[in-house]
Amino acid sequence: MDMIANWLGNTPDFAVPFALAALGLILTERAGVLALGAEGLMLVGALAGIGAQLAFGSHGTSLLLAMGAAAVLSLLFALMVLVLRINQVIAGLALVFFCQGLTGLLGTLLNWTNKPVKGLGAVELWPLSELPLLGKVFVQNPLVFMTPLIFLAVVWFLTRTTTGLRMRAVGENPQAADAAGISVLGYRLAAILAGSALIGLAGGYISVLSTKLWIADMTGGRGWIAVALVIFARWSPWKALAGALLFGCVEALIPQLAAAGVRLPQYFVLMTPYAVTLAVMIWVASGKNVSGNQPGALGIPFIREERR
Amino acid sequence: MNEQVRPVMLEQAAQATERPKQPLLSRRYALEIRQQLAWHRQAAIIGLALLLGLGISAAILIAAGVPAGELLNEFVILTVFDAQSLKAVLFQASPMILVGLAGCMAFRAKFWNLGLEGQMIWGAIGATAISLFEVGPPALRLPLMLAAAIFCGLLWALAPVLLKLRLKVNEIISTLMLNYLAINFLLHLLYGSWKDPKSSFPYSPQFQPFERLPELFEGISAAVPLAVVVALLALWFLGISRAGLYLRFVDANPRVAGAVGVPVQKMIIGTVLISGAMAGIAGFLVTAGQEGRLTQSFYQGYGFSGILIAFLARNNPVAALVVALLMAMLFVAGRSLQVFYQIPFSMVQLIQAILVICVASSDFFIRHRIRRVQGGES
Repeated sequence: MDMIANWLGNTPDFAVPFALAALGLILTERAGVLALGAEGLMLVGALAGIGAQLAFGSHGTSLLLAMGAAAVLSLLFALMVLVLRINQVIAGLALVFFCQGLTGLLGTLLNWTNKPVKGLGAVELWPLSELPLLGKVFVQNPLVFMTPLIFLAVVWFLTRTTTGLRMRAVGENPQAADAAGISVLGYRLAAILAGSALIGLAGGYISVLSTKLWIADMTGGRGWIAVALVIFARWSPWKALAGALLFGCVEALIPQLAAAGVRLPQYFVLMTPYAVTLAVMIWVASGKNVSGNQPGALGIPFIREERR
Repeated sequence: MNEQVRPVMLEQAAQATERPKQPLLSRRYALEIRQQLAWHRQAAIIGLALLLGLGISAAILIAAGVPAGELLNEFVILTVFDAQSLKAVLFQASPMILVGLAGCMAFRAKFWNLGLEGQMIWGAIGATAISLFEVGPPALRLPLMLAAAIFCGLLWALAPVLLKLRLKVNEIISTLMLNYLAINFLLHLLYGSWKDPKSSFPYSPQFQPFERLPELFEGISAAVPLAVVVALLALWFLGISRAGLYLRFVDANPRVAGAVGVPVQKMIIGTVLISGAMAGIAGFLVTAGQEGRLTQSFYQGYGFSGILIAFLARNNPVAALVVALLMAMLFVAGRSLQVFYQIPFSMVQLIQAILVICVASSDFFIRHRIRRVQGGES
């Protein structure tokens, strides 16, 4: 019983990075830019967050700097895909490898590796935190409670504002949007910056609030899982949130099993998030309506000179 | 002819004299798409891009604490003109060539094989299993290890290609996830039943002398000719054989290729399996050639290197040989920087990524021309 309560209580903490990264990816991809760089940008956010935390010690500043650092690095990606029109798959992969190399290098040279930082105190959502079994779910750091609000804001932006409508138009049919006087590249740049900031926040969350230290390559493929999550959620933010909770459950189970003394081969247990991702990808692909809701111009560079 | 040209020239001359009058910020530029560009100009643009990438990398290295005067020494003179290092470079180049060829193969079939590391790990596990369980007589041990490596690497590439063709599962994600599964399985073996009983460190027991790749002449390992032979086979497959011709069909237009009777699916599956097998051989070369045992991080850096080599070589096996040699130089130099200047090995990955970004960007200048538009109007 205790184990289940602990497991459920830890789930949001593991789910938040997936949720924020997936939301950032959805924001970018709804504007028609295929964003494979999430893994790299999360690492940048994580390193910047830890660096700021070691320097200033303020969690708010650290998370903001994590967002800012990822957004700045995403300018490189924007330069590659928007201005230089490089294939978006190549650009995304190059960005991931660039960020992995950069963060590995800086983490060691600046001596930020394995330096623990202080976490953020938990906030109780009072009447709910007294619930039996589910109580621990409502004792979390403030960012966990903010995540649904961020989702709400992004969904409101995408579906209820003219700017959001224009952004989706750019992702569905850039030629038509261009003819209607919408700046395709401008909207795509804004989408890349905003989405990357959210992905950086996800990375900063992992290092500053969750593990509370930096190790090279600490995201361990979570960015790629978020990319899979977006496909699984069919570019819908709420479904992505549900998927993130599922992956949070899987990841939260790993330490619980170890603590409960269940004798399972350790490395097979560590495989589960990746195996679940594969299984989910196969399950989604074998269902009907495979490409429904995918932004129409996803991954296709917009070149006005080649307008048809 | 001349009279037709002259008005245009006059106009251009008139524009040329007009130019300096326009202030810098109000100038307008337009992009034009080039139909084609002479090969020497393409080469010049790519060369400039590479130089730019190397310049940026050099600046980063100097900022990280390598004395500027030592750069040329570390990267070129000490790696090529020193007999010992040259051997190390050739040694390092052999698995590089194989992962590079594996990348070329997969990309020819339009398959993003990011699972080179996983396939390499399985190749190494297969080879080590033959050694651990002492399969076959000593004389046949090395060929058996090679065969096991090929088989295991190929098998690890089978699932993603079938999933892509049957269910349209994105192969980038599936191959990456399979990498993580392979890495964890490797750790499971090395921290579990395959641990070296002598030292109980997490690596497999040392291979027998007859299970290691022999040195042929003057200390050059048998891995080097093996890699060259595989490269020649790849060249034959892609350039001369009927399969290579089919593959170009499939690459250009799979539907038309299918309509004229090319077995499209079989071609793609076969090519990706060959790619996996080559990555498996690379795993065999590292374990049986360099390390002499299965270790827990032997694969690191090879996955990206394979993709990078294939990308820079434009999927051409001969060019892949050359690029792989250069990457091996970078790796050897990176290790010595690690020892002498305490610069982490991530530097190598950063330099590789910078080179890819620069060369990928150069494509823009090959495809487009930037032209000034005269006057304020557009």
